[in-house]
Amino acid sequence: MKVPVVVRIAGLTIAATGFYTYVGQLVPQKEVHPPVEIAISKDTSPDEMRQIGRQIMEGKGLCFTCHTVGKKGPLRFPDLEGIGARAGDRVPGLSDVEYLAQSMYEPENFIVPGFNPGMPVINKPPVGLTDDEILAVIAYLQSLGGTTTVTMETRVPGHTESTASEESAGGAPSE
Amino acid sequence: MTKRKAPRAILIAVLGFAVTVGIATLLLRREYRAPIAAPAAAHEATPREQGLADQAAEQEKRDREKPYVEADYRPFPKVGSRVAIWVVAELHLLFAAFVLAVPLFALIIEFIGYRNKDPRYDRLAHEFTKLLSVSFSLTGTFGAFLTFMLIILYPKFTSYLVSVFSLTFLPYVLLFFAEAFFLYTYYYGWGKFSPRVHLLLGLGLNLVGTAIMLIANAWLTFMTSPAGISEKGALISTWDAVANFTWMPINVHRIIANVAFGGSVAAAYAAYKFLGAQSDEERAHYDWMGYIGNFVAICAFLPLPFAGYWLAKEIYAYSQTMGLQMMGGAFSWLFIIQAVLIGNLFLAANYYLWLGMGRIEGAQQFQKYIKYLLILIAVCFAVWATPRSIISTVAEVRAMGGSAHPALGFLGVMSAKNTAVNILILTTYLSFLLYRRTGKTAVVRWAKAGNLAQLAIFLVAASIVLFLGVYGYFVEARVRIAFSVPQVLSVLLAMVSVTVIDVFMFRNARSSGEARWGQIPPISQYVLIFIAVSFTWLMGLMGYVRSGLRQHWHVYGVMRDTSVDAFTPTLGFATRVVSVTVLIFFVLIGFVFWLASLGGKKDWAERSPGAPTGGEPS
Repeated sequence: MKVPVVVRIAGLTIAATGFYTYVGQLVPQKEVHPPVEIAISKDTSPDEMRQIGRQIMEGKGLCFTCHTVGKKGPLRFPDLEGIGARAGDRVPGLSDVEYLAQSMYEPENFIVPGFNPGMPVINKPPVGLTDDEILAVIAYLQSLGGTTTVTMETRVPGHTESTASEESAGGAPSE
Repeated sequence: MTKRKAPRAILIAVLGFAVTVGIATLLLRREYRAPIAAPAAAHEATPREQGLADQAAEQEKRDREKPYVEADYRPFPKVGSRVAIWVVAELHLLFAAFVLAVPLFALIIEFIGYRNKDPRYDRLAHEFTKLLSVSFSLTGTFGAFLTFMLIILYPKFTSYLVSVFSLTFLPYVLLFFAEAFFLYTYYYGWGKFSPRVHLLLGLGLNLVGTAIMLIANAWLTFMTSPAGISEKGALISTWDAVANFTWMPINVHRIIANVAFGGSVAAAYAAYKFLGAQSDEERAHYDWMGYIGNFVAICAFLPLPFAGYWLAKEIYAYSQTMGLQMMGGAFSWLFIIQAVLIGNLFLAANYYLWLGMGRIEGAQQFQKYIKYLLILIAVCFAVWATPRSIISTVAEVRAMGGSAHPALGFLGVMSAKNTAVNILILTTYLSFLLYRRTGKTAVVRWAKAGNLAQLAIFLVAASIVLFLGVYGYFVEARVRIAFSVPQVLSVLLAMVSVTVIDVFMFRNARSSGEARWGQIPPISQYVLIFIAVSFTWLMGLMGYVRSGLRQHWHVYGVMRDTSVDAFTPTLGFATRVVSVTVLIFFVLIGFVFWLASLGGKKDWAERSPGAPTGGEPS
């Protein structure tokens, strides 16, 4: 029986489409959800701050999209291992907390030698961390080779007076 | 069923229906109702009646006091709003791409025919434009459908886009009128005007079509890389919003990709006609048409990765975060699927060229090289499709010392992939060059020197690409990223310079065998259709990544998506949506092909002897 040309073409189209769909099922399947807000109160302890800071860096902060911890080799962005120990010596006149805060609020002010600029302003969209969330991230970063000294009461350059609950991450026209 | 039984069956069916309606009516009447026999004055309201009246009054009061609340989103049944918008937008884009691309190469083909005084090219260009009018209607219909869907499903976001781009909408609509004017005059005016006037109409059609695309691109690129607005999203400058970071790279990328896509779909039409052809003459014509369509597609396809580099570079320049999400985050595996598609496209395009050599006498001297070209293409394809990290069990990860394979992992980085794709492009170009030379012998005195120069250019370009690819493993990332530019430039320069030498070298060449159009295995036509399906699927996939990059933002960093669909779906889900869209597109484009074929058919009256013609004066 001779199969009509139109049927053959339809068969080829479906087969090719099916093949590409199949390839699409072979790669890792992962849904990426919008970042979950983590509640931070004024009485959060430094220990809790470190844990929350780590969670923020993995999630809402998107930090590990670029940065690594404990990786060697030709990296595109600075590795963060030991940052708590060396942060205080990076920029003359800035303490470790001030340097870490500056690297998030005004990242273009100091670029680690050997790397290109590329760090976004962390308290602005699309990342849009609140001041309290940034304090928690600083607490975690200090713990990488150093000691956490920051608390929820600490005020750093770049801090606004508002708290996490009062700010919103972008969405100006929609929210 | 006999003729006598049929009326009886209908009668029974009607009676059955009437009985069912009767029973239903009787049952409904069993609900309690107030007595109607008593005069109105003597009738006392029952508690139930009073309750119903109160309820109705309450509802009426609530309705009157209801405040107007602007909806952020509205749901779409079954598949959800995102998938509905996705499918409609993609179909609109596919038809728009086709409608923009065909006039571009139809005009060029018509111009070649005009310059060379060869009517074959004119006829070919005319045949390409036959596919346009219905496609234009479908583009407009899907455009209107998309607009309504946006207004209904995403009213707040649409309202925001309208507020930013209000100045662009009226010119857009007016340009659509101009597009309709040029398109229909160009098509229906074929052969009716002087060739120069007709060519000018074609030029007008292309200019207006490109202007429409530029405006629409401004809207969608603004969503990815917004500019010209305040931190709170208020408009500061419409021009800045239009000329945002990704606008020009998308414009260039789209024009090239549209031509590649349009050429491939036009070649698929020729393949469909070739396979159904009844005569050698028809087969020869459609073989030639398919060849030209595919030639257009491949010519546009070769520089497409370079336009892609530029677009990716601008995305990185706008937001490193977005760039890294694209290449190293949520979307990194999508580029492995893309590699499979592009590898298939290169393989199919080369295979078609190699099959095409068979229609020219004297192809044997070049056919011996095909196996080497095939090996090269297969190796490059394999390198390009090798992921950096592989899916493995915990034990396997431990054994490998990480998610990257100790040996193959090195092939998963950009140094290897850039090298593979550049060599792939050079190889395909070489295939085309061999095809172009089949059946010709250069007669210029410097032919030997010309051949050597071409070989040297090829070797130098390939060496630069390979050297930078390997050297990239030993330098810092910021240095390595910059290597893609000299790699790309060396390949582009090689292709341009080799073509220039070839054109001059084979001017007035001695013919050792004419092309026997139509004498090509039918499998070649299925290859053309496969190329068209792959191009369409690739466009669907890349459309998804361009839009999906925004993740949970309608307008990146400005307006968040707070709907239930504000998450990035799995790649498996995305590919299923792309496939459904591609299949719908091919059903519709099949309809366009069928309609275009009707023009060549005899009228019904001519095909049916004895049928009333209806046109005879009484």
